[in-house]
Amino acid sequence: MAARGPTSLRVRLLGLTALGLTLALLLAWFVLGGLFRDEVMRQFQQGLEQQLDQLTARVEFDPQGRPQVDEARLSDPRWSRPYSGLYWQINRGDQSALLRSRSLWDTTLANAQDHLAHGALHVHRGVGPQGVPVLVLERVVQAPELSGAPWRLLVAADIGQLEAAVTRFNRVLALSLAVLLALLLLAAWAQVALGLAPLRALQRALVALQEGRSQRLEGPAPAEVQALVDGFNTVLERNAQVVQRARQQAGNLAHALKTPLAVLGQAAESSMVASRGALPTAPDAALAQLVLDQVEVARRQVDWHLARTRAADAKGLPGRRVAIAPVVQALLRVMRKVHAARGLELRCAAIDSTLAFAGEEQDLHEMLGNLLDNACKWARAAVSVQARLDNGATAPMLVVTVQDDGPGIAADQRDAVLSRGVRIDESVPGSGLGLAIVSDLVAAYGGAITLDLSPLGGLQVAVRLPVVT
Amino acid sequence: MRILLVEDEPLLAAQLRQNLQDAGYAVDHADNGRDAWQMGGVQPYDAAVLDLGLPVQDGLSVLRRWRSEGIATPVLILTARDQWHEKVAGIDAGADDYLTKPFHTEELLARVRALIRRAQGLASPVLHWGAVSLDTRSSRVALDGHPVAMTGHEYKVLAYLMHRPNTVVSRGELTEHIYAQDFDRDSNTIEVFVARLRKKLPPAMIETVRGLGYRLAAP
Repeated sequence: MAARGPTSLRVRLLGLTALGLTLALLLAWFVLGGLFRDEVMRQFQQGLEQQLDQLTARVEFDPQGRPQVDEARLSDPRWSRPYSGLYWQINRGDQSALLRSRSLWDTTLANAQDHLAHGALHVHRGVGPQGVPVLVLERVVQAPELSGAPWRLLVAADIGQLEAAVTRFNRVLALSLAVLLALLLLAAWAQVALGLAPLRALQRALVALQEGRSQRLEGPAPAEVQALVDGFNTVLERNAQVVQRARQQAGNLAHALKTPLAVLGQAAESSMVASRGALPTAPDAALAQLVLDQVEVARRQVDWHLARTRAADAKGLPGRRVAIAPVVQALLRVMRKVHAARGLELRCAAIDSTLAFAGEEQDLHEMLGNLLDNACKWARAAVSVQARLDNGATAPMLVVTVQDDGPGIAADQRDAVLSRGVRIDESVPGSGLGLAIVSDLVAAYGGAITLDLSPLGGLQVAVRLPVVT
Repeated sequence: MRILLVEDEPLLAAQLRQNLQDAGYAVDHADNGRDAWQMGGVQPYDAAVLDLGLPVQDGLSVLRRWRSEGIATPVLILTARDQWHEKVAGIDAGADDYLTKPFHTEELLARVRALIRRAQGLASPVLHWGAVSLDTRSSRVALDGHPVAMTGHEYKVLAYLMHRPNTVVSRGELTEHIYAQDFDRDSNTIEVFVARLRKKLPPAMIETVRGLGYRLAAP
């Protein structure tokens, strides 16, 4: 049920972490790679400088001013092995390669075409024998006892292997950092998952609440969320109390009104029958009839508004769940007593004990009670009730069907009986509000009520109600 | 037939009492739960009309106590509480019927009659013995279809006997069921009523079972 959109905390946290980690590790790669390369180059250059120093020290000039290098006194064997990767060469002015190492064989090193200060060290890259890249160090020396153009001493070393080493290092470094990135991302995912677990638990608790499997947000939550949970539960409880109180007060008002109404009705009725042999006078009888009529009107008004109050806040409380079977059984017990004189056969198909209505128990009693009571009033001999789960096109619904073998209701009158206070036949006792009240309550729960011809011959009423799955 | 009326609203209680008496019942009245419980436990009522919202002890508790003490008097709950869950609670507490206020006297009387009849296993509102018929709805007695005039007490004795066709009913029992609690009773008057009934109806109808009481003879 977790939201996967851009507003998901999880996506946000993971996205930011991944971005940050990737940038940081890329930076680390560049910095470490650069440091390594610089360090290796520095050492390489230092080694080459020593070779240059050695070469400088070994150069001697013969009386004609020509330089001589005693190769035997140069320590590194690579000087004499052809194309060994370590080379020296001595230039003077335009004369290139006056002297060179045996390792150069028949090639020469190109020196930089620039002017060098005396004694300055010049470092540049060039191309050595066989086209390998080399690092070239140059120094200009001036023989103190000789005049003329200064001498340029060059040493060069193959840096191909060095470059390869640096590349290898970079590759290994990149691989290691990638593994590190993967591990860090995994850790971040675990952290986000663990960190957000209470929120997901909260989400599940909310779903349970909405589906009527619990009446409050359950379970301990971390301190940051606990305040929210507590606050929510407090609101829920207060809401429940308010609804409860409103219902109670509406009920109390109704009850408080009904006893005086009963007194009025009784008084009017008894004044209409001949008392002590004397018939009531015409004005008295008219008054009594007026009182009786108005008592009936007042009773209907009270019933109607009480039912409206109930229906209005019917769906106000989440987390309600009522098993159907016990409610139907309880109502059938009532019907068997209240309609005992009618000797009806009350049939009830077995109801799945896990089938539960998502709402208030009182409202379920009210809806099914009115339906069964209506059916019992009209039935000739039999009333049947069944409840089942309907896995409808959109969402599963609870369907309760009540049928009777009474006269039924003509198709063109079925809509009318669902509206306020219409009675098809005034001869059967009842307020006429029964079906209208049921219709209101069903609508308040987002359900539907349908009237039909019953296979038993009378009316079939089916109500579809939200179900706890 | 003797009825316990439990109602705390004085006006309504007075009206109900009058209506029930007019219909031929002996009526005792209690206006709170404790009295109701005690009276119902001691006196042999044929039915009780019980309000739920009562002082001292509410009607449902009274009913539950009666039932737990094995008192099987048929009880009609008469209350303004008309929600179905309240009806369920009433019936499950042991009530036999449930009527909500405001109500029509006729309906109340019909239900009380039916309760008393059902308690004796009788289905029809009109009881027959040979050529004698007793209509519980109108409190009228007829012999061969012709109305027989009788006083309230004569009717009460006959109705009680006809509700228990194969049972011997003692004089004491008859006294308890035709007089209300506060009535000055004299069991000898029962003999007077029976004697008058024997004059108005076939004389062999009511047998005297010596030392025990009266019984309806086989028709």
